[in-house]
Amino acid sequence: MPSPSVINSTLPKSVSFSRGKQSRQVVRKYALPYLLLSPTVILLIAFLAVPFFSLFYYGVHKTDLQGVSTYTGLNNFILLINEARFIQNLQATLLYLVGVLTLSLPLAYFAASLISSNMKGVGVLRTIFLIPWVLAPVVTALLFKTMLDPTSGPITMLLKWIFGQPVYLTLSPEGARLVIILHSAWRSFPFEMLLIAAGITSIPVELYEAARVDGANSWKQFRYITLPLTRVQLFSAVLMISVWTIQDAEGVYALTQGGPGYATEVTGVRLFKEAFLYFNISLASSIGIALIVLSIIVMSVYLRILGRGEAA
Amino acid sequence: MARTRFILAWVGVVFIVVMIIFPLYWGVRTALADNYDRRFFPTELTLDNYRFLFMGGRFIDNIKNSMIVSLGSVTATLPLALLGGYALARFDFPGKRFSIVLLVLPLLPAIAVLVALIMYMRMLGLYNTLYAVILANTVFSSPFAVWMVRGFMLSIPREIEEAALIDGCGPLAALFRIAMPLAAPGLIAVSIFVLISAWNNYLFSFAFTTKTPLQVVPAALLGFITSWGTNYGGMNAAATVAMLPPLIFFLAFQKWFVQGMLAGSTK
Repeated sequence: MPSPSVINSTLPKSVSFSRGKQSRQVVRKYALPYLLLSPTVILLIAFLAVPFFSLFYYGVHKTDLQGVSTYTGLNNFILLINEARFIQNLQATLLYLVGVLTLSLPLAYFAASLISSNMKGVGVLRTIFLIPWVLAPVVTALLFKTMLDPTSGPITMLLKWIFGQPVYLTLSPEGARLVIILHSAWRSFPFEMLLIAAGITSIPVELYEAARVDGANSWKQFRYITLPLTRVQLFSAVLMISVWTIQDAEGVYALTQGGPGYATEVTGVRLFKEAFLYFNISLASSIGIALIVLSIIVMSVYLRILGRGEAA
Repeated sequence: MARTRFILAWVGVVFIVVMIIFPLYWGVRTALADNYDRRFFPTELTLDNYRFLFMGGRFIDNIKNSMIVSLGSVTATLPLALLGGYALARFDFPGKRFSIVLLVLPLLPAIAVLVALIMYMRMLGLYNTLYAVILANTVFSSPFAVWMVRGFMLSIPREIEEAALIDGCGPLAALFRIAMPLAAPGLIAVSIFVLISAWNNYLFSFAFTTKTPLQVVPAALLGFITSWGTNYGGMNAAATVAMLPPLIFFLAFQKWFVQGMLAGSTK
């Protein structure tokens, strides 16, 4: 079936036709792209959009084990906001986010400038640097757990050798928080590096040459050339890593189960426990909504900063 | 000046490489050494942990389940991504600007939606089946997969397809016989992306299956942590097995995979 309609859509302004035929032509013209997209759209509406909205339904209802649900309004949310544990969850999430970004971004910039240089063996380096990114969060979390074991872990032994006395990172709240941040930063920096390196390679070399002629040192070159010119990539990296860190449950759960106490129980881990261990669906839905709101806040803050930068 | 920079760069390289390789080395070491051997470089190696791991066939079942889930997710996602990505790259139609939603969706917390999806899977009779896990993987990977294929299709010149259309080739034939072969690296990149994310994922299987015979590899790993203590030898033996597929596919298709991720992450 040779179809002139597709030629129309790919070659605009090629044929003009009479009015009566036009509406039929329009339907045929758009039928194919809609048809091609329909499986994805239907799937996403049925299994993403609809559950997304029923989350709000579960959030304002209390469902018992028989499946009978009663309307409770904002009760769940009021309970959550007044709960010391949930406030602690939010604080832990914030600390986790700030910690991961602070550690991973400088590392990502350094690694990105390494792999976009013309040193020998850069390809091999890039491959090695990307390894943490392709491994499962559960796997890397357990590798870290092995290294940090209080009796047999090499890191524990190293710390004991350095400080002369045993330091058990996973057993103290501060240590455990540091551990989940280190693990997540280790996992996150490769992706940030990839985006930032794509930005660095698009900077013309002449800029650096001119800066060197003018006597700019490495820091100044970074501050006034690299950083401003990779701003867009930096923002996408920060945005994605931030939302993923806020939502993270698997890595933290495998590493500490949220402990000791609730020290590392970030919002994702709390949700994970309430939903899949205690089957507390209405509370889990409220936490889920809180998590969605948190992600949207982070996204809009970044987009706003990026938008303002673009306008300036 | 240049010399200090050079030395500094190398110190940095060594630091990052050790930071990445050491956890992997320690995992392999723990899997291969005797459980009571505390030395950094053990001299006697043993396969006992692996022998114990594969004894009884439980772990083999976990691997089988993980393979079913990963391959099933690729099989389900790839056609969606091909058709959708082609439509977005090659056609203009009303409502196209809403396709940006596909970029935002992967940023929303999957774990939150899972809570409601549990109820859905119960209603559909899919709860406690691997279909539910495959379905969830497909739903959550397809937005990014569509966007990746779109990026690849945009990088292919459309003149070839247009020439074919003028010569009387149908639009679907143009897609399957011309665009698809040209976008093959992109489709491979998408497949690897879906395969690795499905293989690595623990959340979906944990949310939708409660039966031990349906457990996937990451669940098996966590099974080594018990209230009596952790069997590190066994756990790391299992972890090294779990690492292999992502590493192998990543190393084999690195160039296309990275290109695809960048094409999907940026406009």
